[in-house]
Amino acid sequence: MSTITSRIHSATEAMPRRRGDWQIASDGLGGGIARSGLQLLAVLAFFALWELGVRFGGVSGFLFGQPSGIFTNFGRFIMDGSLFVDAGYTTLEAVVGFVFGTALGTSLGLSLWYSVGVARLVEPFVIALNSVPKIALAPLIILWFGTGYTSKIALVIAMTAIVALITAYQAARDSDKDLQRLLTSMGADKHRIFFKAVVPSSLPAVIATFRINIGFALVGAVVGEFISSQHGLGHLVFTASNLYDLNTVWVGLFSLMILGFALYHIVNFIERRVLPWKQDQSERQVAA
Amino acid sequence: MGERTTQLEIRGLAKTFGTRNGAVPVVRDLTFDIYERDFVSIIGPSGCGKTTIFNMIAGLLEADAGVMRYRGEPVEGLRGRIGYMMQKDLLFPWRTVLQNALLGLEIRNVDRKEAREMALDYLNTFGLRSFENAYPSTLSGGQRQRVALIRTLIMDPDILLLDEPFSALDYQTRLHLEGVLVDAVETSGKTVILITHDVDEAVALSKRVVVLSGRPSKVKAVHDIEIASHSPVESRGDPHFAQYFHLLCNELDIQTH
Repeated sequence: MSTITSRIHSATEAMPRRRGDWQIASDGLGGGIARSGLQLLAVLAFFALWELGVRFGGVSGFLFGQPSGIFTNFGRFIMDGSLFVDAGYTTLEAVVGFVFGTALGTSLGLSLWYSVGVARLVEPFVIALNSVPKIALAPLIILWFGTGYTSKIALVIAMTAIVALITAYQAARDSDKDLQRLLTSMGADKHRIFFKAVVPSSLPAVIATFRINIGFALVGAVVGEFISSQHGLGHLVFTASNLYDLNTVWVGLFSLMILGFALYHIVNFIERRVLPWKQDQSERQVAA
Repeated sequence: MGERTTQLEIRGLAKTFGTRNGAVPVVRDLTFDIYERDFVSIIGPSGCGKTTIFNMIAGLLEADAGVMRYRGEPVEGLRGRIGYMMQKDLLFPWRTVLQNALLGLEIRNVDRKEAREMALDYLNTFGLRSFENAYPSTLSGGQRQRVALIRTLIMDPDILLLDEPFSALDYQTRLHLEGVLVDAVETSGKTVILITHDVDEAVALSKRVVVLSGRPSKVKAVHDIEIASHSPVESRGDPHFAQYFHLLCNELDIQTH
């Protein structure tokens, strides 16, 4: 608890020092540091209210858990290393599945641009696959691939590939025809047009799918772990909830939240790297 | 006019589009010549199929009938030989100014270093050197069109096909770019086919003007424009300018009252 109170101190200290930001900022909420301070404060206030509610307000710690207990468990699982093992499994399943699923779906979707005939041919199948809730495949996939991480990766691939395929195909199809004609007039063949116009113009949509698919990947990994597993944050949450150990459930949930948050920011980072021209645009709009 | 050698012969070109409401003939029996180092404007009423003609010459659209001969050789279209410029600048938003200028040379597999030097040279000449690493979205309309012009010229095309390239620009920028174009074309000895709806622009820049009739379009008349200077400002002040302007407006049946 002492680390928490010292954090509150540093957060409140940070604000007056950056008072200048409050006046310059256009959103009225201050600059980066002041805003982060405020956000941290909100989180801490939430936990404080929760803790007080359980201790003095008649909120059931049995049903809702209790922050002090959550933090104790959090610390314990970090100390014995089990949290890292579980988080490692879930991260591995989600990230590997995401990478394969998204890469597979994206490349298939983009290459459907080559042939309208093939695209029309496979369209009903794609739609049919897309309309199956992929989660419903989980029991089957676990039967096929076992209870280890392979089955979770397979489930994540199933969840991410179709979305990536559909988005990539639509983006490729919407790619500016005039740019393609310009390349044709320059003497470019179909492959050149694909790599010089279709792929780069589809990238923003493809990367937007990354963000959606990161969420799906975590869903796939966790649901796979719910059904049958020995490790993972989903395993942690599921087994703890069977034992009514709400504090441990929360440890798993908050870890998933942190994991999702981190992955989201990694995607953002990739986006800034891959789409510098989009960055330029949005900065200009902010400036204007 | 002295000796004129024909560079491109267009004979009896026709194109009909099938639509839901039946076949629409857009171009019928189109015949005219383009000479070496020519500057021909094609004008006509709006919707007369100018862009269709343009796409057939560029080899982006197959003609239903007719032949084109390039320096005597029958050709399907001038794909790869022409520089193509439209009202939309068609800059690739994910490419910087320099990378956009390099596009055509990449398609031709020109040595990277050599291509880069050429492009930087052009950027220098066109006053865009300091923007080489900027993305198109940060440029003004005039700057973007200048990049498009560089991208076209750098390919050293035999014929420049320009489809209303300046019509989206304000008048001053437009005069400026017309001047840039005329200079560039004269120094490099290029042939230009300019499609425009702007009679004023056609008279000011061209050596010859082809007037099209309404749809289905065919050639109504071809006029030599004998004006001493084709720099955009001077030519507009030429004593003959108004005369040609009226002549062409009459041909197009443009009546203001």
